[in-house]
Amino acid sequence: MASSNASNDFSLQGKSALVVGAEHSVGRAAAVTLAEAGARVVLASQEPGTDKRLKEVAKLVNAAGTKPLIRVQDAAMRADLSATADLAAKELGGLHILVNALDTPAYGPAETNDDTAFDKIMENNLKTVWMSCQEGARVMLRQGGGVIVNITSVLAERGVANAALYCAAKAAVLNLTRALALEWARKGIRVNAVEAGWLDDESSPANKGDEFSKTMLKYLPYHRLVKPEELGGALLYLVSPAAGFVTGESIAVDGGLRARV
Amino acid sequence: MILDSLKLDGKVAIITGAGRGLGRAMAVKLAETGADIVAAARTQSQLDETAEAVRKTGRKCLIVPTDVTVSAQVNALAAATVKQFGRIDILVNNAGGGDDTLGKQLPEITDDEWRRGIDTNLSSQFYGCRAVIAQMVKQNRGKIINIASGYGLRGGKHNFMYACAKGGTIQLTRSMALTYAQFNIQTNCIVPGIFPHNEAMMQFFKGGKFVPIGRVGQDSELGPLAVFLASDASNHINGELIAIDGGGLAGGIAPTGVSPENTNQMAVEK
Repeated sequence: MASSNASNDFSLQGKSALVVGAEHSVGRAAAVTLAEAGARVVLASQEPGTDKRLKEVAKLVNAAGTKPLIRVQDAAMRADLSATADLAAKELGGLHILVNALDTPAYGPAETNDDTAFDKIMENNLKTVWMSCQEGARVMLRQGGGVIVNITSVLAERGVANAALYCAAKAAVLNLTRALALEWARKGIRVNAVEAGWLDDESSPANKGDEFSKTMLKYLPYHRLVKPEELGGALLYLVSPAAGFVTGESIAVDGGLRARV
Repeated sequence: MILDSLKLDGKVAIITGAGRGLGRAMAVKLAETGADIVAAARTQSQLDETAEAVRKTGRKCLIVPTDVTVSAQVNALAAATVKQFGRIDILVNNAGGGDDTLGKQLPEITDDEWRRGIDTNLSSQFYGCRAVIAQMVKQNRGKIINIASGYGLRGGKHNFMYACAKGGTIQLTRSMALTYAQFNIQTNCIVPGIFPHNEAMMQFFKGGKFVPIGRVGQDSELGPLAVFLASDASNHINGELIAIDGGGLAGGIAPTGVSPENTNQMAVEK
């Protein structure tokens, strides 16, 4: 008998997935993982004007195993999110998986954040996730179920200086995940989260070779930052048929960072 | 390729409490995914059944009857594994339970009941970690999976020993994770929710009452989670707890199915 049938438990053959924020490194990594596992993917942007970047992501996703669709949109516009969710369902025969990789980092002293900054940070990091969950669930409830994963950060669980509003928004996404999981638990929709540790990507403040970056490398359990593709395993487990009893949970991919005092 | 990273071909896994229930389910699923199994438990006949199920997948199964409260026996379990297979890739510290103290009034709990419970649930896991770590460090690779419980994170009335032991499981997981990260050894924790193993439990949770998702867990569902944590797909996950509980731990500040606004209330009973 064949000894390895990981594909049976973790295969996403026949499933359709919508990744919102596909232009970001994490969204890109998520889309590639989903395609490798067999899902058809819709790559939707967080920001408008990202056609070129989405096309590059599409090439990677296509090479990974399935041909994606592209939706350049503004995730801060509900009408865009709504149309994308409907399009995903229509073109791919249903919307089984929604991955929100929505993120706009915001680092800096608290006193420099005025009320406009508050609105922007919350809109980009929390409101977009909330609206996307609502629009995705609208489709999923209609079809009898689905699974949502919100990608957030270890900043959701702890504080760090010079990131007050960003931490608050990330934490809000985490608890939003739990509340929605409970609300939709008997309606067939599972809602979970992945918490990324300090990432090695263009948005990270920790890969700049400066004092902060050097200090972090010494401090981290693996003495290196998390690569976006390293989030793929946790994401795949959570959206797979094998995780049918997992909801309202978050899996941190941080090498053990939160485990320490 | 992500699906390849989930395979366990060539790996060797020790599972304690492998004679039945969650332990047996994990043993079989790890074997289905390519691992050879070392099954430990107290009861030979139960181990025989587990071994038969494992061998049906085409993998090997070494049976080692073990009392996990005796550290010498746990050491012997690790030694037997290395002798037979030359390696230890995965340790699933699953043995536990056996709570004579549950429901007893505090003053009635004896020293012996307390100690036996701690030994069965927590000391056993410590002994397991200690017994395998040298081999895993030598390999510069290892996966330790400790099975905890919701009672490792929350309390329960008249639940002292078990809650303390399972809380210890979680802390053991974190300290192991931090200490051995540098040797490419990941230590994580599975937190199972309601997986009934007797008639009384099945009746109490009938229809998924008290579980947000509306059903109880199936033992077989632990399998893929154990595979994930035993595989290369989880190499950057360390010191983490993953609850597989139908949403139970996500709530707890109101009874299951109860919320403000009647229109949003879910039926608690089907």
